[in-house]
Order: sequence, then C-alpha cells, then structure tokens
Amino acid sequence: MGGIALIDVQKEADLIYVRADKLFAAQWHCQYRIDVVHDQYAQTTNFFMDIQRKGHRERSIPLHTLQTTDLEILEQVIGALKIQTQLSLNFINFGHVRWPESQRWVR
Amino acid sequence: MDYRNEPHGMFFMIDNKSFYASVESAARGLNPLRSVIVVMSEADNTGSGLVLAASPMAKKLFGISNVSRQYEVPDDPRILVVPPRMNLYIQENLKINKIFREYVADNDLFPYSIDESILDMTKSWRLFGPTPEIVARRIQLRIRRELGLYTTVGIGENPVQAKLALDLQAKHDHELIGRLTYETFPEKIWPITNLEKVWSIGHRTAAHLQRLGIHSMRDLAMVNPYELRAEMGMIGAQLFALAWGIDRSHLHELRPAKEKSWSNSQVLPRDYKVQQEIELVIREIGQQTTSRMRHHRQQAGCVSLSIGFARVGEADDGRSGFHHSCRIDPTDSAQTIIAALLRLFRQHWEGQSIRNIGVGLSRLNASRGLQLDIFQDPHRQIKDERFDRVIDELRDKFGKTAVIPASSLMPGGTMLRRAALVGGHNGGNSFD
Repeated sequence: MGGIALIDVQKEADLIYVRADKLFAAQWHCQYRIDVVHDQYAQTTNFFMDIQRKGHRERSIPLHTLQTTDLEILEQVIGALKIQTQLSLNFINFGHVRWPESQRWVR
Repeated sequence: MDYRNEPHGMFFMIDNKSFYASVESAARGLNPLRSVIVVMSEADNTGSGLVLAASPMAKKLFGISNVSRQYEVPDDPRILVVPPRMNLYIQENLKINKIFREYVADNDLFPYSIDESILDMTKSWRLFGPTPEIVARRIQLRIRRELGLYTTVGIGENPVQAKLALDLQAKHDHELIGRLTYETFPEKIWPITNLEKVWSIGHRTAAHLQRLGIHSMRDLAMVNPYELRAEMGMIGAQLFALAWGIDRSHLHELRPAKEKSWSNSQVLPRDYKVQQEIELVIREIGQQTTSRMRHHRQQAGCVSLSIGFARVGEADDGRSGFHHSCRIDPTDSAQTIIAALLRLFRQHWEGQSIRNIGVGLSRLNASRGLQLDIFQDPHRQIKDERFDRVIDELRDKFGKTAVIPASSLMPGGTMLRRAALVGGHNGGNSFD
C-alpha cells in the first residue's frame, strides 16, 4: 500500500473508535485496553482491543490495521482517537522513540 | 530393494508451525514460539466455539489441540484468545509462496494446503547452498525475517519422503528440518509402531493392518505385496510402496479429475427439525452451488443431496444420514435444480433432525444456450433464464448479499450470516 496521502486520519480514528466502543461493556473486574502494535513485517500499525476479565482467559480482538508505520500520521490518528475514548493505549514494539510533534516518549 | 530405477529428486515439503496462531502472534508483536495464543472460531455452527489453531506453547502448557472445543480450553488468564481472520491467512500464504518462487520455477511449486507447499528443488537447490539442509535453513530464515513466521522443512528424494520427513522428523527437530533418503528410510521409518502417525494411514486402515498382523512399518515393508494387494486392493500396493519410501508420482503431470462436479455443504448452527427450515437451507445451498456452476458456463445433468442426521441412529436402521442423486435434463436454472433437490429431500426424509446438508451438481457440460421444454411456456422459461443472469451480475458487482430471497430472512436461513465467512470462519474486518 504505502499510499500515505490516502490515509484520512479522522476516518481511521473513527473506525477504531466505533469498533472498540462496540466491544466495551463496563464490567466489574475487567480491564480494557487498546494495543497499538508496530508490525515490522507487514509495515503496518495494528490495533487490537484487549479484554482481560480477572481470572479468565485474555481476549484480543482486531480493530483495524493502519497501512503505514509513519509516526507523524500515527500521532495524528492517536490524537484523534484520544478525543473519543478514555481507554488506555499500550504501545508495542515501537522501541525507544519520541512522537515527532509533541516530542513525548511513545509509550 | 533396488532403488536405481526409482526417481531421485530433491523435494522440500515446507509447512508453517501453527500457521494461524503464528500469524496472529506476529501481528501482535509476539514471538510465535513463545506466545500462548489460541485462535478460536465462534461462527454459529461451531457450537460454543472451536479451536482452529493453538500456538506451540499453548499446546505444550495446556494440552490444547486444534479442533478442541471452547469448553475444553482452561479459563486461565495466561491464555490469549483471538478470533480467526481467514482472509489474512490467505494473504500470508500468498506471500510465503511468493518467497518460494525465488527458489524454484513456478512449475516446480505445488501448494498443498493453506500452510503447506511442496517445492521440487531437484534442478535448483545447488544454486542456493552446498547441502539441502543449508538451503532449507536459508529459506526458513528468510521467511522468519520477512514475515516473522517459523517454518518446518521436510527434505526427501520424492514427495512422500519429504512429507514423512516433515511430519515425523522435522516437527521434533531443534532446527525444524528433517531429511529422509532411500538409504536412511529403513533406519528412520521402520521402527514406527503407531501407524496412524504416518501420512495416508488413518484410523481404519491402521486397524485393518493390525488385523493382518502388521504392527510396525517394518512389518509393512516385509509383507508380501501381492498378498497385501489381494487383501486391500490398490491401497495395499500403495501402502507397501510407502513402507519403502517409494513414490512414483509426477507432480508436473497432475491428472485432472475424471469428472468434475460442483458441491457445497454446511454444518448447521443447531439441529433443524422443521421441514420448512430445512428446505430453506437446501434452497440457499442449491442457489449458491448453481451460481458457482453458472460462472463457469456449465449445466448439470445430475443433482445430489446429502443429509447428515443430528445424532447417529436417528433413523430406525441406524444410518447417520442419506445421500441420493437423480438425473435431470441438463440445466443451469436454479429453479429446476432446487425443485429436484426438494423432491429428493421429500422422498427420503422421515422427520429426523438434521445437522448437515450438502448439495452436488455433476454430469456437467458446457451450457451453450437454453434448451426450451415444449411442455412449458417458452416466454416463462426465457424470463427465468434472464432472471438468473441478472441476479448473478448483481451479485458479482455488489457482493453476495446485494440481492437475497426474502425467504432467507425467515427463521432458519443461514445465507446472510455465512456470506461474510471464509471457509466457514470469520474472514476478518471488512475494511481493514
């Protein structure tokens, strides 16, 4: 793919939010988290909803695949997503890098 | 045994270690050999859920096997359960085969299943390393580096040796490579006593061999091949060849099936008892199969219907289902084919509850035009024909669910829910 110009940040964030929201049912003793994975093989960024009920099997449900690993775009998508949801985000395999815009550590 | 006249090639059989689970691990940034991950299908017809794949660690720590049921998987927080994404696995398989094509000519690559391929390396292996094992290692590392997946390689002088090397040696080897030759075959394979572990020997064949006093691969190799053939037929001769690691198949000259046919079948999400509901699903499957056939511009002269009962012994005589077929005038009209299917069903069904339905179309020939039936209104027939074509075109253009019969919305219809599935399981998010 690699068509960076084709990525509509708002649309991507909306899609992730809508899918995550469907899976979210506020329950006791249940942790929800969005995993954001830097996929070095496919050169994509993968989003998963991770649901962990205390004492039960952990579940991980694919939300979306962003067809880029570009941090600038990802920062915008994450920014747009954070406006919509309070769920904690867990960044996986990004290494020790900073967001290009805010200069905060990616974590 | 004189092996001089047997084919001496160099075949690699390569499979992916716990393919679905490994793809899901890699997508989550986990190591496929260390993650404890279970791919579980929750499609309607899998009951409470079916394990499609478990990572090597999940198998080791919790004894989970493929096709375990959901309730057999321990409710342990260390286990990560993920839904299947069939489309993703197909894509990954294509990527892997693309890598293979850099090591063999297109004609020498034979995909065997979604996670296994046979590579005829006879002509090309020397280009990539001094020994077959080193070449295999190179391919493994390449796939590991580019896709994050671990592969297992069986090497043999013919396809069956490669397959046995894969199943019986490579899977237990530290490097995930196994190799068999005519020479090492007796030493490595003959000691095997659990015959069911050997490719092509199933539960019933193993039992049959046991009855004949054959309890190991050595016994099988030492048996008189003519007697074995007299007892078991063609399969006997094949098994004898298997015991000696002989395989004379020419993969390049794969023979097309003598008579092609089209068929579809499905396991129902629950027991179906109501005639109307069962007939609805028969209609849907009939429609689907006919439409596949029409895409190939063929018409069928024979329709068959298979019905599996919910429980064995549901019928008085202990049958587990029935399979019947009937000849029809060659046609590609869904209406006519469905009418024949329903006729078959009504003739043979005696009120049993049903869990399995299959439809087959055979005696195919090219459909050249519409053969009008003099006993029916010609305008009606032409109109029906055009109707079918328009439906096909609409579905090609806008997807399978663009137009559906209203009856599919009635209780029991499975078409709508199955339309999004790939091979009966979740394909993944549609816009991904």
